[in-house]
Amino acid sequence: MAPLRTLSGYAWAVAATAACTLAGLAMRDRFDIVNIAMVYLLAVVVVALRYPHGPAIATSVLSVLAFDYLFVPPHGTFTVDDVQYLLTFAIMLTVAVVISRLVERIRREAAAKADLAVEAETERIRSTLLASISHDLRTPLAVMAGASSSLAESGERLEPDERRALAASVFRQARAMADYVAKILQMTRLDAGAIVPSRDWNALPEIANATLDRLAERLARHRVIVELAPDLPLVRVDAALIDQALGNLVENAASHTPADTVIRVRARRVGDEAVVTVEDYGDGLAERDAERVFAKFQHGTGGARGPGLGLAICRAIVRLHDGRAWAERLPDGGTAFHFSLPIEAPPTMPPETAEA
Amino acid sequence: MNATAPRATILVVEDEPEIRRLLHTAFGVEGYRTVESATGRRGTIDAGTHKPDLAIVDLGLPDMEGIDVIRQLRQWSSMPIIVLSARVQEQTKVEALDAGADDYVTKPFGIGELLARVRAALRHAVRGVSGDTRIVLGTAVVDLERRTARRGDDEVRLTPIEYRLLAALAKHAGLVATHRQLLADVWGPTHETDTHYLRIYMKQLRDKLEAEPERPRYFLTEPGVGYRLRVDE
Repeated sequence: MAPLRTLSGYAWAVAATAACTLAGLAMRDRFDIVNIAMVYLLAVVVVALRYPHGPAIATSVLSVLAFDYLFVPPHGTFTVDDVQYLLTFAIMLTVAVVISRLVERIRREAAAKADLAVEAETERIRSTLLASISHDLRTPLAVMAGASSSLAESGERLEPDERRALAASVFRQARAMADYVAKILQMTRLDAGAIVPSRDWNALPEIANATLDRLAERLARHRVIVELAPDLPLVRVDAALIDQALGNLVENAASHTPADTVIRVRARRVGDEAVVTVEDYGDGLAERDAERVFAKFQHGTGGARGPGLGLAICRAIVRLHDGRAWAERLPDGGTAFHFSLPIEAPPTMPPETAEA
Repeated sequence: MNATAPRATILVVEDEPEIRRLLHTAFGVEGYRTVESATGRRGTIDAGTHKPDLAIVDLGLPDMEGIDVIRQLRQWSSMPIIVLSARVQEQTKVEALDAGADDYVTKPFGIGELLARVRAALRHAVRGVSGDTRIVLGTAVVDLERRTARRGDDEVRLTPIEYRLLAALAKHAGLVATHRQLLADVWGPTHETDTHYLRIYMKQLRDKLEAEPERPRYFLTEPGVGYRLRVDE
Protein backbone atom coordinates (compact mmCIF):
# COMPACT_ATOMS: atom_id res chain seq x y z
CA MET A 1 0.00 0.00 0.00
CA ALA A 2 1.40 3.37 -0.91
CA PRO A 3 2.11 5.34 2.28
CA LEU A 4 0.87 8.53 0.64
CA ARG A 5 -2.48 6.92 -0.06
CA THR A 6 -2.78 5.69 3.54
CA LEU A 7 -1.88 9.16 4.83
CA SER A 8 -4.52 10.82 2.71
CA GLY A 9 -6.93 8.11 3.94
CA TYR A 10 -6.41 9.21 7.54
CA ALA A 11 -6.80 12.84 6.53
CA TRP A 12 -10.10 11.85 4.95
CA ALA A 13 -11.12 10.00 8.13
CA VAL A 14 -10.63 13.20 10.15
CA ALA A 15 -12.27 15.41 7.52
CA ALA A 16 -15.28 13.11 7.10
CA THR A 17 -15.83 12.87 10.83
CA ALA A 18 -15.56 16.65 11.17
CA ALA A 19 -18.03 17.19 8.34
CA CYS A 20 -20.51 14.75 9.89
CA THR A 21 -20.12 16.43 13.24
CA LEU A 22 -20.97 19.81 11.71
CA ALA A 23 -23.93 18.29 9.91
CA GLY A 24 -25.01 16.55 13.11
CA LEU A 25 -24.80 19.80 15.09
CA ALA A 26 -27.00 21.49 12.50
CA MET A 27 -29.50 18.62 12.61
CA ARG A 28 -29.52 18.25 16.36
CA ASP A 29 -32.71 20.24 17.08
CA ARG A 30 -34.94 18.75 14.41
CA PHE A 31 -33.70 15.15 13.98
CA ASP A 32 -33.63 12.14 16.17
CA ILE A 33 -30.24 11.13 17.50
CA VAL A 34 -30.53 7.84 15.59
CA ASN A 35 -30.51 9.70 12.29
CA ILE A 36 -27.40 11.58 13.32
CA ALA A 37 -25.76 8.21 13.90
CA MET A 38 -26.77 7.32 10.34
CA VAL A 39 -24.91 10.38 9.04
CA TYR A 40 -21.75 9.14 10.78
CA LEU A 41 -22.36 5.72 9.29
CA LEU A 42 -22.41 7.32 5.86
CA ALA A 43 -18.97 8.81 6.52
CA VAL A 44 -17.67 5.39 7.51
CA VAL A 45 -19.07 3.84 4.32
CA VAL A 46 -17.57 6.52 2.08
CA VAL A 47 -14.10 6.25 3.61
CA ALA A 48 -14.24 2.44 3.60
CA LEU A 49 -15.12 2.45 -0.10
CA ARG A 50 -12.13 4.58 -1.04
CA TYR A 51 -9.43 3.58 1.46
CA PRO A 52 -8.03 0.46 3.14
CA HIS A 53 -9.42 -0.66 6.46
CA GLY A 54 -7.04 1.46 8.57
CA PRO A 55 -8.60 4.81 7.70
CA ALA A 56 -12.07 3.16 7.71
CA ILE A 57 -11.64 1.92 11.27
CA ALA A 58 -10.22 5.30 12.25
CA THR A 59 -13.33 6.93 10.86
CA SER A 60 -15.61 4.66 12.82
CA VAL A 61 -13.67 5.21 16.07
CA LEU A 62 -13.57 8.99 15.57
CA SER A 63 -17.24 9.00 14.66
CA VAL A 64 -18.26 7.03 17.72
CA LEU A 65 -16.17 9.28 19.96
CA ALA A 66 -17.59 12.47 18.44
CA PHE A 67 -21.10 11.06 18.46
CA ASP A 68 -20.77 9.97 22.04
CA TYR A 69 -19.19 13.20 23.26
CA LEU A 70 -21.52 15.63 21.53
CA PHE A 71 -24.81 13.87 21.00
CA VAL A 72 -25.24 11.07 23.51
CA PRO A 73 -26.44 12.22 26.93
CA PRO A 74 -24.79 13.17 29.16
CA HIS A 75 -23.36 15.66 26.63
CA GLY A 76 -19.72 16.72 26.89
CA THR A 77 -18.53 13.40 28.34
CA PHE A 78 -17.53 10.02 27.02
CA THR A 79 -19.76 8.29 29.51
CA VAL A 80 -22.38 6.08 27.94
CA ASP A 81 -25.65 5.86 29.80
CA ASP A 82 -27.47 3.58 27.55
CA VAL A 83 -26.05 0.26 26.50
CA GLN A 84 -27.66 0.61 23.08
CA TYR A 85 -24.95 3.10 22.04
CA LEU A 86 -22.41 0.37 22.50
CA LEU A 87 -24.35 -1.47 19.83
CA THR A 88 -24.14 1.62 17.55
CA PHE A 89 -20.39 1.60 18.08
CA ALA A 90 -20.12 -2.13 17.29
CA ILE A 91 -22.20 -1.76 14.12
CA MET A 92 -20.15 1.18 12.85
CA LEU A 93 -16.92 -0.71 13.41
CA THR A 94 -18.27 -3.81 11.67
CA VAL A 95 -19.54 -1.82 8.68
CA ALA A 96 -16.15 -0.11 8.35
CA VAL A 97 -14.21 -3.36 8.39
CA VAL A 98 -16.61 -5.35 6.17
CA ILE A 99 -16.84 -2.70 3.44
CA SER A 100 -13.15 -1.92 3.30
CA ARG A 101 -12.32 -5.63 3.19
CA LEU A 102 -14.84 -6.21 0.38
CA VAL A 103 -13.57 -3.29 -1.66
CA GLU A 104 -9.97 -4.38 -1.17
CA ARG A 105 -10.73 -7.87 -2.34
CA ILE A 106 -12.58 -6.63 -5.45
CA ARG A 107 -9.69 -4.31 -6.24
CA ARG A 108 -7.13 -7.11 -5.87
CA GLU A 109 -9.14 -9.45 -8.09
CA ALA A 110 -9.52 -6.83 -10.84
CA ALA A 111 -5.78 -6.16 -10.80
CA ALA A 112 -5.02 -9.87 -10.90
CA LYS A 113 -7.37 -10.32 -13.83
CA ALA A 114 -5.68 -7.49 -15.78
CA ASP A 115 -2.25 -8.93 -14.99
CA LEU A 116 -3.45 -12.30 -16.17
CA ALA A 117 -4.64 -10.89 -19.51
CA VAL A 118 -1.32 -9.11 -20.13
CA GLU A 119 0.53 -12.24 -19.06
CA ALA A 120 -1.51 -14.40 -21.44
CA GLU A 121 -0.76 -12.11 -24.40
CA THR A 122 2.93 -11.91 -23.49
CA GLU A 123 2.94 -15.66 -23.11
CA ARG A 124 1.31 -16.11 -26.53
CA ILE A 125 3.91 -13.89 -28.22
CA ARG A 126 6.71 -15.53 -26.27
CA SER A 127 5.64 -19.01 -27.25
CA THR A 128 5.10 -18.13 -30.92
CA LEU A 129 8.47 -16.40 -30.92
CA LEU A 130 10.12 -19.42 -29.33
CA ALA A 131 8.38 -21.81 -31.71
CA SER A 132 9.41 -19.61 -34.61
CA ILE A 133 12.99 -19.35 -33.37
CA SER A 134 13.29 -23.07 -32.90
CA HIS A 135 11.82 -23.72 -36.32
CA ASP A 136 13.45 -20.94 -38.29
CA LEU A 137 16.81 -20.62 -36.58
CA ARG A 138 17.62 -24.17 -35.55
CA THR A 139 17.46 -25.57 -39.05
CA PRO A 140 19.78 -22.99 -40.64
CA LEU A 141 22.10 -23.21 -37.64
CA ALA A 142 22.27 -26.98 -38.04
CA VAL A 143 23.01 -26.59 -41.75
CA MET A 144 25.67 -23.96 -41.07
CA ALA A 145 27.33 -25.95 -38.31
CA GLY A 146 27.30 -29.11 -40.39
CA ALA A 147 28.50 -27.55 -43.62
CA SER A 148 31.19 -25.36 -42.07
CA SER A 149 32.55 -28.16 -39.87
CA SER A 150 32.89 -30.50 -42.80
CA LEU A 151 34.70 -27.72 -44.69
CA ALA A 152 36.98 -27.06 -41.72
CA GLU A 153 37.72 -30.71 -40.92
CA SER A 154 37.80 -32.43 -44.28
CA GLY A 155 37.73 -29.64 -46.85
CA GLU A 156 40.80 -30.95 -48.68
CA ARG A 157 39.12 -34.31 -49.31
CA LEU A 158 36.07 -32.73 -50.93
CA GLU A 159 35.66 -32.01 -54.63
CA PRO A 160 35.84 -28.29 -55.46
CA ASP A 161 32.16 -28.41 -56.49
CA GLU A 162 31.17 -29.92 -53.17
CA ARG A 163 33.22 -27.37 -51.27
CA ARG A 164 31.58 -24.54 -53.16
CA ALA A 165 28.11 -25.96 -52.58
CA LEU A 166 28.70 -26.31 -48.83
CA ALA A 167 30.12 -22.81 -48.53
CA ALA A 168 27.28 -21.39 -50.59
CA SER A 169 24.70 -23.00 -48.34
CA VAL A 170 26.39 -21.55 -45.25
CA PHE A 171 26.24 -18.12 -46.87
CA ARG A 172 22.60 -18.53 -47.91
CA GLN A 173 21.50 -19.66 -44.45
CA ALA A 174 23.49 -16.91 -42.74
CA ARG A 175 21.84 -14.30 -44.96
CA ALA A 176 18.41 -15.70 -44.17
CA MET A 177 19.17 -15.66 -40.45
CA ALA A 178 20.49 -12.11 -40.55
CA ASP A 179 17.31 -11.07 -42.31
CA TYR A 180 15.24 -12.93 -39.75
CA VAL A 181 16.97 -11.26 -36.81
CA ALA A 182 16.71 -7.85 -38.49
CA LYS A 183 12.96 -8.31 -38.91
CA ILE A 184 12.45 -9.25 -35.27
CA LEU A 185 14.50 -6.24 -34.16
CA GLN A 186 12.65 -3.93 -36.52
CA MET A 187 9.24 -5.14 -35.29
CA THR A 188 10.34 -4.63 -31.69
CA ARG A 189 11.51 -1.11 -32.44
CA LEU A 190 8.30 -0.30 -34.30
CA ASP A 191 6.23 -1.69 -31.41
CA ALA A 192 8.19 0.38 -28.92
CA GLY A 193 7.62 3.54 -30.96
CA ALA A 194 11.40 3.86 -31.28
CA ILE A 195 11.25 4.64 -35.00
CA VAL A 196 10.63 8.20 -36.06
CA PRO A 197 10.42 8.45 -39.86
CA SER A 198 12.76 11.08 -41.27
CA ARG A 199 10.50 12.29 -44.03
CA ASP A 200 11.70 13.96 -47.18
CA TRP A 201 10.45 14.43 -50.72
CA ASN A 202 10.84 11.20 -52.64
CA ALA A 203 9.86 9.72 -55.97
CA LEU A 204 8.11 6.37 -55.46
CA PRO A 205 9.48 4.95 -58.73
CA GLU A 206 13.03 5.57 -57.48
CA ILE A 207 12.33 3.74 -54.23
CA ALA A 208 10.57 0.89 -56.05
CA ASN A 209 13.49 0.43 -58.43
CA ALA A 210 15.97 0.41 -55.54
CA THR A 211 13.83 -2.21 -53.77
CA LEU A 212 13.66 -4.39 -56.87
CA ASP A 213 17.44 -4.08 -57.45
CA ARG A 214 18.09 -4.98 -53.82
CA LEU A 215 15.89 -8.07 -54.07
CA ALA A 216 16.97 -9.07 -57.59
CA GLU A 217 18.35 -12.37 -56.35
CA ARG A 218 15.15 -13.28 -54.48
CA LEU A 219 13.13 -12.44 -57.57
CA ALA A 220 15.31 -14.26 -60.09
CA ARG A 221 12.85 -17.13 -60.45
CA HIS A 222 9.79 -14.94 -60.97
CA ARG A 223 8.70 -12.76 -63.86
CA VAL A 224 8.56 -9.23 -62.49
CA ILE A 225 6.42 -6.63 -64.27
CA VAL A 226 6.84 -3.03 -63.19
CA GLU A 227 4.14 -0.42 -63.83
CA LEU A 228 5.01 2.95 -62.31
CA ALA A 229 2.72 5.79 -63.33
CA PRO A 230 4.85 8.59 -64.82
CA ASP A 231 2.56 11.32 -63.45
CA LEU A 232 2.94 10.19 -59.86
CA PRO A 233 3.76 13.24 -57.71
CA LEU A 234 6.56 13.25 -55.13
CA VAL A 235 5.59 11.98 -51.68
CA ARG A 236 7.02 13.07 -48.35
CA VAL A 237 8.22 9.79 -46.83
CA ASP A 238 11.17 8.11 -45.16
CA ALA A 239 12.62 6.39 -48.22
CA ALA A 240 14.54 3.71 -46.31
CA LEU A 241 11.37 2.69 -44.43
CA ILE A 242 9.19 2.65 -47.55
CA ASP A 243 11.90 0.58 -49.25
CA GLN A 244 11.51 -1.92 -46.39
CA ALA A 245 7.70 -1.88 -46.54
CA LEU A 246 7.64 -2.52 -50.27
CA GLY A 247 10.49 -5.04 -50.00
CA ASN A 248 8.50 -7.05 -47.46
CA LEU A 249 5.50 -7.19 -49.81
CA VAL A 250 7.71 -8.28 -52.71
CA GLU A 251 9.49 -10.92 -50.61
CA ASN A 252 6.13 -12.15 -49.38
CA ALA A 253 4.89 -12.53 -52.95
CA ALA A 254 8.08 -14.29 -54.04
CA SER A 255 7.99 -16.78 -51.18
CA HIS A 256 4.29 -17.68 -51.53
CA THR A 257 4.09 -18.26 -55.26
CA PRO A 258 5.65 -20.86 -57.53
CA ALA A 259 8.61 -20.08 -59.81
CA ASP A 260 7.88 -18.54 -63.22
CA THR A 261 4.70 -16.86 -62.04
CA VAL A 262 4.26 -13.12 -62.48
CA ILE A 263 4.78 -10.56 -59.73
CA ARG A 264 3.44 -7.17 -60.71
CA VAL A 265 4.63 -4.04 -58.89
CA ARG A 266 2.48 -0.99 -59.51
CA ALA A 267 2.40 2.58 -58.24
CA ARG A 268 -0.29 5.03 -59.22
CA ARG A 269 -2.31 7.97 -57.98
CA VAL A 270 -5.81 7.33 -56.64
CA GLY A 271 -7.46 10.57 -55.51
CA ASP A 272 -5.35 12.14 -52.76
CA GLU A 273 -3.23 9.08 -52.29
CA ALA A 274 -0.39 7.29 -53.96
CA VAL A 275 -1.16 3.58 -53.99
CA VAL A 276 1.58 0.97 -54.29
CA THR A 277 0.47 -2.55 -55.16
CA VAL A 278 2.22 -5.90 -55.34
CA GLU A 279 0.16 -8.51 -57.17
CA ASP A 280 1.03 -12.16 -57.29
CA TYR A 281 -0.56 -15.07 -59.09
CA GLY A 282 -0.36 -17.81 -56.51
CA ASP A 283 -3.31 -19.65 -55.04
CA GLY A 284 -4.80 -16.46 -53.78
CA LEU A 285 -5.65 -15.43 -50.29
CA ALA A 286 -8.83 -16.69 -48.65
CA GLU A 287 -11.12 -13.69 -48.10
CA ARG A 288 -11.20 -14.30 -44.35
CA ASP A 289 -7.38 -14.16 -44.20
CA ALA A 290 -7.14 -10.72 -45.82
CA GLU A 291 -6.87 -9.02 -42.44
CA ARG A 292 -5.26 -11.86 -40.50
CA VAL A 293 -2.11 -11.91 -42.66
CA PHE A 294 -1.07 -8.52 -41.28
CA ALA A 295 -0.90 -9.86 -37.71
CA LYS A 296 2.46 -10.67 -36.15
CA PHE A 297 3.89 -14.18 -36.44
CA GLN A 298 1.32 -15.07 -39.03
CA HIS A 299 2.35 -17.61 -41.63
CA GLY A 300 0.50 -18.22 -44.86
CA THR A 301 -0.29 -21.67 -46.10
CA GLY A 302 2.76 -21.81 -48.37
CA GLY A 303 4.96 -23.07 -45.55
CA ALA A 304 7.14 -20.01 -46.01
CA ARG A 305 10.16 -19.42 -43.80
CA GLY A 306 10.86 -16.39 -41.71
CA PRO A 307 9.28 -14.99 -38.59
CA GLY A 308 6.00 -14.04 -40.27
CA LEU A 309 6.61 -10.39 -39.52
CA GLY A 310 7.03 -8.93 -43.00
CA LEU A 311 3.46 -7.80 -43.50
CA ALA A 312 3.09 -6.60 -39.89
CA ILE A 313 6.23 -4.47 -40.34
CA CYS A 314 4.92 -3.17 -43.66
CA ARG A 315 1.65 -2.09 -42.06
CA ALA A 316 3.39 -0.49 -39.06
CA ILE A 317 5.69 1.51 -41.36
CA VAL A 318 2.83 2.65 -43.59
CA ARG A 319 0.79 3.71 -40.55
CA LEU A 320 3.73 5.83 -39.37
CA HIS A 321 3.23 7.68 -42.65
CA ASP A 322 -0.54 8.10 -42.14
CA GLY A 323 -1.20 5.52 -44.83
CA ARG A 324 -3.07 2.21 -44.96
CA ALA A 325 -2.03 -1.33 -45.89
CA TRP A 326 -4.51 -3.99 -46.99
CA ALA A 327 -4.85 -7.15 -49.04
CA GLU A 328 -7.48 -8.47 -51.41
CA ARG A 329 -8.09 -11.59 -53.42
CA LEU A 330 -7.92 -10.94 -57.15
CA PRO A 331 -10.94 -12.06 -59.21
CA ASP A 332 -8.83 -14.38 -61.39
CA GLY A 333 -6.93 -15.89 -58.46
CA GLY A 334 -3.83 -14.44 -56.90
CA THR A 335 -3.54 -11.72 -54.30
CA ALA A 336 -2.99 -7.97 -54.35
CA PHE A 337 -1.25 -6.30 -51.43
CA HIS A 338 -1.66 -2.53 -51.39
CA PHE A 339 -0.41 0.35 -49.35
CA SER A 340 -1.36 3.97 -49.69
CA LEU A 341 0.51 7.14 -48.82
CA PRO A 342 -1.05 10.59 -48.58
CA ILE A 343 -0.15 13.07 -51.32
CA GLU A 344 0.66 16.55 -50.09
CA ALA A 345 1.07 19.79 -52.01
CA PRO A 346 4.38 19.38 -53.82
CA PRO A 347 7.22 21.83 -53.14
CA THR A 348 8.14 24.36 -55.79
CA MET A 349 11.34 24.67 -57.75
CA PRO A 350 12.50 27.70 -59.70
CA PRO A 351 12.57 27.08 -63.49
CA GLU A 352 16.05 26.48 -64.83
CA THR A 353 16.09 29.42 -67.26
CA ALA A 354 15.96 31.76 -64.27
CA GLU A 355 18.81 29.96 -62.56
CA ALA A 356 21.26 28.84 -65.22
CA MET B 1 45.08 -11.49 -59.39
CA ASN B 2 43.91 -7.96 -59.78
CA ALA B 3 45.74 -6.11 -62.51
CA THR B 4 44.28 -2.67 -61.84
CA ALA B 5 45.46 -2.59 -58.23
CA PRO B 6 48.75 -4.45 -57.84
CA ARG B 7 49.19 -5.17 -54.16
CA ALA B 8 47.14 -2.24 -52.97
CA THR B 9 47.25 -1.87 -49.19
CA ILE B 10 43.95 -1.84 -47.33
CA LEU B 11 43.64 -0.52 -43.80
CA VAL B 12 40.94 -2.33 -41.82
CA VAL B 13 39.74 -0.47 -38.70
CA GLU B 14 37.48 -2.99 -36.98
CA ASP B 15 37.26 -4.13 -33.36
CA GLU B 16 35.87 -7.63 -34.02
CA PRO B 17 38.86 -10.00 -34.50
CA GLU B 18 36.74 -12.52 -36.43
CA ILE B 19 35.77 -9.93 -39.00
CA ARG B 20 39.36 -8.68 -39.28
CA ARG B 21 40.51 -12.24 -39.93
CA LEU B 22 37.78 -12.75 -42.50
CA LEU B 23 38.73 -9.57 -44.37
CA HIS B 24 42.42 -10.39 -44.13
CA THR B 25 41.83 -13.76 -45.79
CA ALA B 26 39.45 -12.46 -48.44
CA PHE B 27 41.70 -9.54 -49.36
CA GLY B 28 44.77 -11.79 -49.35
CA VAL B 29 43.18 -14.04 -51.96
CA GLU B 30 42.60 -11.00 -54.18
CA GLY B 31 46.24 -9.93 -53.82
CA TYR B 32 45.70 -7.00 -51.46
CA ARG B 33 47.90 -6.39 -48.45
CA THR B 34 45.97 -5.79 -45.21
CA VAL B 35 46.86 -3.60 -42.24
CA GLU B 36 44.61 -4.30 -39.25
CA SER B 37 43.72 -1.86 -36.48
CA ALA B 38 41.48 -2.90 -33.59
CA THR B 39 40.67 0.62 -32.41
CA GLY B 40 39.93 3.97 -33.99
CA ARG B 41 42.96 5.61 -32.39
CA ARG B 42 45.23 2.81 -33.65
CA GLY B 43 43.62 3.18 -37.08
CA THR B 44 44.47 6.85 -37.40
CA ILE B 45 48.08 6.10 -36.41
CA ASP B 46 48.39 3.09 -38.76
CA ALA B 47 47.03 5.20 -41.60
CA GLY B 48 49.94 7.59 -41.10
CA THR B 49 52.66 4.95 -40.90
CA HIS B 50 51.44 2.49 -43.57
CA LYS B 51 50.00 4.98 -46.09
CA PRO B 52 47.27 2.58 -47.24
CA ASP B 53 45.50 2.93 -50.60
CA LEU B 54 42.08 2.46 -49.07
CA ALA B 55 40.53 2.30 -45.59
CA ILE B 56 37.64 0.23 -44.30
CA VAL B 57 36.19 1.72 -41.11
CA ASP B 58 33.62 0.05 -38.88
CA LEU B 59 31.05 2.54 -37.57
CA GLY B 60 30.67 0.74 -34.24
CA LEU B 61 34.16 1.09 -32.74
CA PRO B 62 34.52 0.91 -28.96
CA ASP B 63 36.98 3.75 -28.38
CA MET B 64 35.82 6.51 -30.72
CA GLU B 65 33.09 7.29 -33.20
CA GLY B 66 33.74 5.91 -36.66
CA ILE B 67 32.79 9.35 -37.97
CA ASP B 68 35.62 10.96 -36.02
CA VAL B 69 38.06 8.44 -37.48
CA ILE B 70 36.87 9.48 -40.95
CA ARG B 71 37.17 13.19 -40.16
CA GLN B 72 40.72 12.71 -38.86
CA LEU B 73 41.75 10.70 -41.91
CA ARG B 74 40.18 13.26 -44.24
CA GLN B 75 42.30 16.04 -42.73
CA TRP B 76 45.33 14.80 -44.61
CA SER B 77 44.31 11.91 -46.87
CA SER B 78 42.11 11.57 -49.93
CA MET B 79 42.30 7.77 -50.02
CA PRO B 80 38.93 6.06 -50.54
CA ILE B 81 37.13 5.17 -47.30
CA ILE B 82 34.44 2.50 -47.11
CA VAL B 83 32.38 2.23 -43.94
CA LEU B 84 30.90 -0.94 -42.49
CA SER B 85 27.55 -0.24 -40.90
CA ALA B 86 24.85 -2.27 -39.18
CA ARG B 87 21.33 -2.06 -40.53
CA VAL B 88 20.13 0.10 -37.66
CA GLN B 89 22.75 2.81 -38.27
CA GLU B 90 20.93 4.43 -41.20
CA GLN B 91 21.50 7.99 -40.00
CA THR B 92 25.09 7.40 -38.89
CA LYS B 93 25.81 5.99 -42.31
CA VAL B 94 24.66 9.18 -44.04
CA GLU B 95 26.69 11.28 -41.58
CA ALA B 96 29.76 9.16 -42.31
CA LEU B 97 29.31 9.69 -46.05
CA ASP B 98 28.79 13.42 -45.57
CA ALA B 99 31.94 13.46 -43.42
CA GLY B 100 33.96 12.13 -46.35
CA ALA B 101 33.47 8.36 -46.56
CA ASP B 102 33.04 7.24 -50.17
CA ASP B 103 30.82 4.23 -49.83
CA TYR B 104 29.29 1.82 -47.35
CA VAL B 105 28.60 -1.88 -46.95
CA THR B 106 25.89 -3.05 -44.59
CA LYS B 107 26.66 -5.88 -42.18
CA PRO B 108 26.22 -8.76 -42.73
CA PHE B 109 27.77 -8.50 -46.17
CA GLY B 110 28.84 -10.95 -48.81
CA ILE B 111 32.54 -10.74 -49.64
CA GLY B 112 31.63 -10.37 -53.32
CA GLU B 113 29.73 -7.21 -52.53
CA LEU B 114 32.55 -5.78 -50.42
CA LEU B 115 35.21 -6.61 -53.04
CA ALA B 116 33.12 -4.94 -55.74
CA ARG B 117 32.97 -1.78 -53.61
CA VAL B 118 36.71 -1.94 -52.94
CA ARG B 119 37.50 -2.33 -56.65
CA ALA B 120 35.18 0.55 -57.57
CA ALA B 121 36.76 2.77 -54.91
CA LEU B 122 40.33 1.95 -55.97
CA ARG B 123 39.50 2.46 -59.64
CA HIS B 124 37.88 5.73 -58.74
CA ALA B 125 41.02 6.88 -56.93
CA VAL B 126 43.13 6.09 -60.02
CA ARG B 127 40.72 7.72 -62.45
CA GLY B 128 40.66 10.88 -60.34
CA VAL B 129 44.28 11.42 -61.42
CA SER B 130 43.79 10.57 -65.10
CA GLY B 131 41.37 13.47 -65.67
CA ASP B 132 39.14 11.67 -68.18
CA THR B 133 36.05 13.82 -68.64
CA ARG B 134 34.07 11.30 -70.67
CA ILE B 135 31.31 9.25 -69.06
CA VAL B 136 30.07 6.09 -70.75
CA LEU B 137 26.67 4.81 -69.67
CA GLY B 138 25.88 1.86 -71.91
CA THR B 139 25.05 3.34 -75.30
CA ALA B 140 25.12 6.91 -73.95
CA VAL B 141 28.34 8.92 -73.92
CA VAL B 142 28.68 12.31 -72.25
CA ASP B 143 31.74 14.56 -72.50
CA LEU B 144 31.62 16.85 -69.51
CA GLU B 145 34.34 19.18 -70.76
CA ARG B 146 33.05 19.70 -74.28
CA ARG B 147 29.47 19.55 -73.04
CA THR B 148 28.31 17.06 -75.64
CA ALA B 149 26.07 14.05 -75.10
CA ARG B 150 24.90 11.25 -77.35
CA ARG B 151 22.68 8.24 -76.86
CA GLY B 152 23.33 5.70 -79.59
CA ASP B 153 23.43 7.74 -82.78
CA ASP B 154 21.30 10.56 -81.43
CA GLU B 155 22.57 13.78 -80.02
CA VAL B 156 21.12 14.54 -76.59
CA ARG B 157 20.72 18.08 -75.31
CA LEU B 158 21.38 18.49 -71.61
CA THR B 159 20.66 21.69 -69.70
CA PRO B 160 23.47 23.40 -67.74
CA ILE B 161 22.10 22.06 -64.43
CA GLU B 162 21.88 18.56 -65.87
CA TYR B 163 25.56 18.80 -66.86
CA ARG B 164 26.46 20.04 -63.39
CA LEU B 165 24.49 17.23 -61.73
CA LEU B 166 26.08 14.64 -63.98
CA ALA B 167 29.52 16.04 -63.16
CA ALA B 168 28.73 15.93 -59.44
CA LEU B 169 27.64 12.28 -59.76
CA ALA B 170 30.72 11.47 -61.84
CA LYS B 171 32.96 12.81 -59.07
CA HIS B 172 31.72 9.78 -57.10
CA ALA B 173 31.43 7.42 -60.09
CA GLY B 174 30.72 3.89 -58.89
CA LEU B 175 30.37 5.20 -55.33
CA VAL B 176 27.61 6.84 -53.33
CA ALA B 177 26.96 10.56 -53.53
CA THR B 178 24.73 11.84 -50.72
CA HIS B 179 21.81 14.20 -51.30
CA ARG B 180 23.64 16.90 -49.39
CA GLN B 181 26.81 16.56 -51.46
CA LEU B 182 24.95 16.68 -54.76
CA LEU B 183 22.74 19.60 -53.75
CA ALA B 184 25.71 21.58 -52.45
CA ASP B 185 27.71 20.84 -55.62
CA VAL B 186 24.98 21.74 -58.08
CA TRP B 187 22.75 24.30 -56.39
CA GLY B 188 25.03 25.58 -53.65
CA PRO B 189 25.13 25.17 -49.86
CA THR B 190 21.90 27.12 -49.31
CA HIS B 191 19.96 24.37 -51.09
CA GLU B 192 21.39 21.40 -49.17
CA THR B 193 17.94 20.24 -48.03
CA ASP B 194 15.99 20.83 -51.26
CA THR B 195 15.92 17.13 -52.06
CA HIS B 196 13.01 17.54 -54.46
CA TYR B 197 15.35 19.35 -56.91
CA LEU B 198 17.33 16.11 -57.14
CA ARG B 199 14.24 13.97 -57.68
CA ILE B 200 13.18 16.11 -60.62
CA TYR B 201 16.60 16.42 -62.28
CA MET B 202 17.50 12.77 -61.79
CA LYS B 203 14.31 11.86 -63.63
CA GLN B 204 15.29 14.20 -66.47
CA LEU B 205 18.77 12.66 -66.71
CA ARG B 206 17.29 9.17 -66.76
CA ASP B 207 14.74 10.11 -69.40
CA LYS B 208 17.51 11.51 -71.63
CA LEU B 209 20.31 9.00 -71.07
CA GLU B 210 18.92 5.67 -69.85
CA ALA B 211 17.80 3.08 -72.41
CA GLU B 212 14.92 2.14 -70.08
CA PRO B 213 14.29 5.21 -67.89
CA GLU B 214 11.53 3.50 -65.89
CA ARG B 215 13.93 0.70 -64.91
CA PRO B 216 17.27 2.56 -64.72
CA ARG B 217 20.61 0.79 -64.97
CA TYR B 218 23.07 3.65 -64.39
CA PHE B 219 21.38 6.34 -62.29
CA LEU B 220 20.72 4.26 -59.20
CA THR B 221 18.88 5.37 -56.06
CA GLU B 222 20.14 4.65 -52.55
CA PRO B 223 16.93 5.21 -50.54
CA GLY B 224 17.43 7.73 -47.77
CA VAL B 225 21.11 8.20 -48.65
CA GLY B 226 21.63 9.54 -52.16
CA TYR B 227 22.50 8.27 -55.62
CA ARG B 228 25.08 6.04 -57.23
CA LEU B 229 26.26 6.47 -60.81
CA ARG B 230 27.00 2.95 -61.93
CA VAL B 231 30.08 2.34 -64.07
CA ASP B 232 30.39 -0.91 -65.97
CA GLU B 233 33.32 -3.01 -64.77
